[in-house]
Amino acid sequence: MALLTMTGMHKRFGNVIALDDVDFTLEAGEVHALVGENGAGKSTLMKVLAGVQPPDAGTMTLAEREVRFASVTEAQANGVVMVYQELALVPSLSVTENLLLGRLPPLVRYGDLRARARDLLAQVDLAIDPNAEVGRLGIGERQLIEIARALSREGRVLVLDEPTAALSATETDHLFEIIGKVKAQGVSVVYISHRLEEVFRIADRVTVLRDGKRVGTRSLAETSAEEIVRLMVGKAVRRYERPQRHEAEELGRFEVGGGGDLQTTTIALRAGEIVGLAGVIGSGRERVLPTAFGLHGTARWRERPLRSPRDAIREGIVLVPSDRKTQGLVLELTVQENVSLATLERLQRLGFMRSGLERQQTRRWIERLSLRPPEPHKPVFELSGGNQQKVVIAKALATEPKVLLLDEPTRGVDVGARAELYDVIDDLSSRGLGLLLSSSDTEELLGLSDRILVFRGGRIATTLTPPFAYEEVVAHVTGAHQVA
Amino acid sequence: MSLARIKWREILGRFGLVMALVALVVILSLLSDRFMTSSNVINVLRQISINAIIASGMTVVIIGRGIDLSVGSLLALTGVVGASLAVAGLPPGVAIAGALALGTFMGVFNGVFIAYAGIAPFIVTLAGLTIFRGMALAITDGRPVSGLPPVFMTIGYGSFLGLPVPIWIMLGFLLLTHVILRYTALGRAIYAIGGNEEAARLSGIPVRRTILFTFAYSGLAASLAAMVLTGRLNSAQPSAGVMFELDAIAAVVVGGTSLFGGRGGVFGTLVGALIIGVINNGMNLLNVPSFYQQIVKGGVILAALLIERLVASRRT
Repeated sequence: MALLTMTGMHKRFGNVIALDDVDFTLEAGEVHALVGENGAGKSTLMKVLAGVQPPDAGTMTLAEREVRFASVTEAQANGVVMVYQELALVPSLSVTENLLLGRLPPLVRYGDLRARARDLLAQVDLAIDPNAEVGRLGIGERQLIEIARALSREGRVLVLDEPTAALSATETDHLFEIIGKVKAQGVSVVYISHRLEEVFRIADRVTVLRDGKRVGTRSLAETSAEEIVRLMVGKAVRRYERPQRHEAEELGRFEVGGGGDLQTTTIALRAGEIVGLAGVIGSGRERVLPTAFGLHGTARWRERPLRSPRDAIREGIVLVPSDRKTQGLVLELTVQENVSLATLERLQRLGFMRSGLERQQTRRWIERLSLRPPEPHKPVFELSGGNQQKVVIAKALATEPKVLLLDEPTRGVDVGARAELYDVIDDLSSRGLGLLLSSSDTEELLGLSDRILVFRGGRIATTLTPPFAYEEVVAHVTGAHQVA
Repeated sequence: MSLARIKWREILGRFGLVMALVALVVILSLLSDRFMTSSNVINVLRQISINAIIASGMTVVIIGRGIDLSVGSLLALTGVVGASLAVAGLPPGVAIAGALALGTFMGVFNGVFIAYAGIAPFIVTLAGLTIFRGMALAITDGRPVSGLPPVFMTIGYGSFLGLPVPIWIMLGFLLLTHVILRYTALGRAIYAIGGNEEAARLSGIPVRRTILFTFAYSGLAASLAAMVLTGRLNSAQPSAGVMFELDAIAAVVVGGTSLFGGRGGVFGTLVGALIIGVINNGMNLLNVPSFYQQIVKGGVILAALLIERLVASRRT
């Protein structure tokens, strides 16, 4: 008998059917991956499980008892805990206080609490000071603290939603070790992820959702990545291959440095070239593009200093930032208003917006990037992740740049939209733009780059040229070949 | 098609407010037969003109995710300066222009500390609130400035095409604000900064200059309101405008502009000012004692925001 059984789950939001007769079972001590494209219903299913939203229909049994959670608290009392990224912790309180939050005795004896906290931290192999303020910790550490907290409340079912999205390779390894350990104690884990290699690494079974329906559950020992992708997409996936391009004239050289992890580095860029930047968090790689856009540190392009984004845009350099929600978009404004944001100066005459010109510009980009739905007056928060990203790219391209800086361009974007974005990127390079692509997705770098710069210790450790081998890139990024 | 749908939704958001206003008007005209007379309607419009002018400036600031607590004191300061200049013999037009320039300049003063020194708007304008009041009192030694040239009487009591001048000034300033917010690149930048300052900065928008503008504009609004008030009283009081900032903020938020920035508009602010004005007027007509009026006014502000909140949550 399974630990948890969900049968015939239905959930509808307005006209959208988020869950359509979904069954889901979870064995005790199992890691069960939940995969599917954005909007497939993964998160909704887990929200129903964790008591965030009630289902419209369907039954749940937990340990042979029928349950119905009216609130998160109720779900937690029954041992079902969803681990959010950093959301559930209070940043200004200490690790100890966070671990024992809600269960602090009326008279707090800090010595006892710290000892208790240390035990809990040991369970997740976290060697940090229990007095440390949570706000100063990294995302990986916060996640482990949440897991420790869940375990301390006799959690039986842990739900992890994209837990590795912001983790470095080392942190991911650590997390996976802990998941293995937790599993050995009989705790079940639901693991939501877009990354199949992770699913194959740690999960026992996988359930694939598509358009609110369950399309299959497989034991990972008996399936392949191809099969899962086929289930997710429902059609054959196009393999992305980049044709060899001609050498072209050099557009210029970036000289970036002086910001934290990053030493002074020079990057030359040719017209039509895509230069990939690889490296783990903390390697300096993630600082290159913001620095090159004049946000911090010091940057020069063709010997000219870039002191602000305005300087950079004037020089024909534009950034597609890594976090579209906090850096790329004004969510409550419309598609058109967002697309125009970087070109307000060109779209005005005597201060007044030239609405005809603005409409025309928006229409052109909606068409060229095949934005869906193709509606200029929709607030961008109503668009899917992939289409939001297209709006950010449209805004950048509207400035008619010579150099495009792409920072994690497909983070949180589903497979279908990802392929479309790759087409857009490819098209831009064939129009003679120079592109710097910073990404933590190795496959993406392999598929798009003409050259890959691997960062380690704040500088370029290696420059790789095609043909690239996956293992080679990973070995350089992690520094594995140096160990051997 | 979807364009129509979104506009409709936007209108629905505003519609709730207008309906609240209409409901208030209907109730009051049932309760008092003096309410719906044309003289009383004009009276209400004239009474709200000063608040609506200040609130227009406040709307611009709040859409940019700021707040301006200094407007009441700035009104007093610019009022007494403008009046003093006129009394000292300067041509009235120059005196008024001087007062408006001073209001704008003091707004820039606020804005520099906020946009360039990075101090929270609440704190900077709270300081402005006491500094400007102190200056107004110091300049006049605490005494009202009177003996004004007749131009001020015209501003306060004149009429044009059957409507009092203060109403025209209010409508003109509302229109100007609306045009800036909706039809200019500057307005777009203000919404963008209020909605997501980081994204605005990364789009190459001159964030600091734009924030500076919003406070300068609010200063201009306060000084324009000062001219109207000076005309109404036919003198300038250094103690004028106490708590006006709260009335203005109330009109803005009742009018549906989000205190978190990036959303709203000056049409809502007008309706907000009307709702508050109609309530004040209605309670006067019904002889509600003024102590109770304050309680009712606060209650209405809470109720308006609560309804707004319920409508908004049903929409998403």
